[in-house]
Amino acid sequence: MEGISFKVTKAVGEKDLQLEYDLVIIGGGPAGLTAAIYASRSRMRTLLVEKEAIGGEAASTSMIENYPGFPEGISGAELAERMRSQAQKFGAQIVLATPESLDLWTEPKEVGLRGQLIRARSIIIASGTSPRKLGIPGEIELKGKGVSYCATCDGPMFAGKDIAIIGCGNSGLQEGLFILKFVKSLTMVEFLPTIQAEQILQESMRSHKNVRWLLNHETVSINGEEWVESITVKDRESGEERGLPVEGVFIYVGLKPNSDFLTGQVELNEWGFIPTNEGMQTSVPGVYAAGDIRVTEMRQVATAIGDGAVAAFSAYHYVESNERKVA
Amino acid sequence: MAHLSDEDREHLRKNFSELERPVRLIYFSQKFECQYCETTQEILSELSELSDKIALKVYDLHEDSTEAEKFGIDMIPGLVVANEKDYGIRYFGIPGGYEFSSLIEAIIDVSKGVSELSEETKQALKKLEKPIHIRVFITMSCPYCPRAVRMAHQMAMESEMVRGEMIEAAEFPQLVQRYNVGAVPKVVINDTVEFEGALPEHIFLDHVLQADGVVRGSR
Repeated sequence: MEGISFKVTKAVGEKDLQLEYDLVIIGGGPAGLTAAIYASRSRMRTLLVEKEAIGGEAASTSMIENYPGFPEGISGAELAERMRSQAQKFGAQIVLATPESLDLWTEPKEVGLRGQLIRARSIIIASGTSPRKLGIPGEIELKGKGVSYCATCDGPMFAGKDIAIIGCGNSGLQEGLFILKFVKSLTMVEFLPTIQAEQILQESMRSHKNVRWLLNHETVSINGEEWVESITVKDRESGEERGLPVEGVFIYVGLKPNSDFLTGQVELNEWGFIPTNEGMQTSVPGVYAAGDIRVTEMRQVATAIGDGAVAAFSAYHYVESNERKVA
Repeated sequence: MAHLSDEDREHLRKNFSELERPVRLIYFSQKFECQYCETTQEILSELSELSDKIALKVYDLHEDSTEAEKFGIDMIPGLVVANEKDYGIRYFGIPGGYEFSSLIEAIIDVSKGVSELSEETKQALKKLEKPIHIRVFITMSCPYCPRAVRMAHQMAMESEMVRGEMIEAAEFPQLVQRYNVGAVPKVVINDTVEFEGALPEHIFLDHVLQADGVVRGSR
């Protein structure tokens, strides 16, 4: 039995909202928080808006082992908490709220928050991604009834059970290693013939005896009445289908951009990600994108924070040059 | 050994310096067959040492059954966070891991006697006609859960009709099974309305109102 920890987090500052900011950041994951740190150090009046939990998707990562500076690894939520306190220390204001409206084309731009219209001289979109769904029968019906997208959150409830993880990328293996602390057995299912995750994660996983691998297998359906009872997988080589009794299915098959609220506001690519130039600028002047929401080769905490710093730098120069024009 | 580091204590002491009225932590425990009762009592005791505005009172679920009944506590570890008034804020199971933050916030809210809910939500809650019992299932490793718990607790503060409970899923497998909990946070209202996730305030409220409507039979 592991010792219980008691995580002391500081309450997110609920100072009164101002009516105008130099920069409004949408999204409180690593990209948005880094932008908040850099912007507030430039003395920009900075507001960060997060709809759910500080840290974004990274917050639900049980252990991040490839973020430099933490050789023992650090939990996503802990890392986010440190970034949050750093941003607030330099004066960034952070609120938990969902933007009610957004107009990127006015100058200044406008964000509807808690019934007020907030003016923003620049905007950074760091709204990130959500887990992608498989889109197979049983997935929606049994969501929360054995189907989960967050092993960190839901893993402890699957103690002593047989479970499957769909998707053998970094997320699938990372969360698999976490959930192995609880479950009886773990089956890793991967559509492709090879495992995509980092070698070091594969090595850790292979040291566990209660893990089995089904590579080159398509997950066809998730079955059960009240609760997940099994999954049906199909061997992509032989075409043979078979049932696999499990009580839990954790799905890690990629990321879907959180960009629905941006339709018609800013250019998105066919998948819904935001194209930017090297300065993180989007198709709209004064609007920048950073982190997982951006069209990029890699979606990691280490890449998101670089984006956040660049976006804040660009936003600062945009606001400053506009100021000179006015003066 | 202390559960809180010196740094955490210092931070909490500073936070608690803004406490206004006295807060009572009324804790129910039992001596046997309770995995986390002792640890829960230890952390509550550490908290109470950080401010003279926080008082811990420990009861035994069986020996002090009159008190348990008075506060509606039937599971252990069970905790009431109250000032001179009992708003209906409850914790069942250990408020450990990320959930610890919702306990700190509950203490501060209760001490101030006001929640941070919007005026609109407060008004809507005042119109509730039937008792509303909100259960929020959580795990200690869930970073999204404290937000849902705090919402339930703040609603309890704003309405005499509302009771808001945190339930640590791993400690109460029977409830997990009964309410089919497979993802957290899971919120169950009056056994009739349920949802998953830390939803924004107005959507959370919609579900509460829906439960009130169902009870009234005016769907």
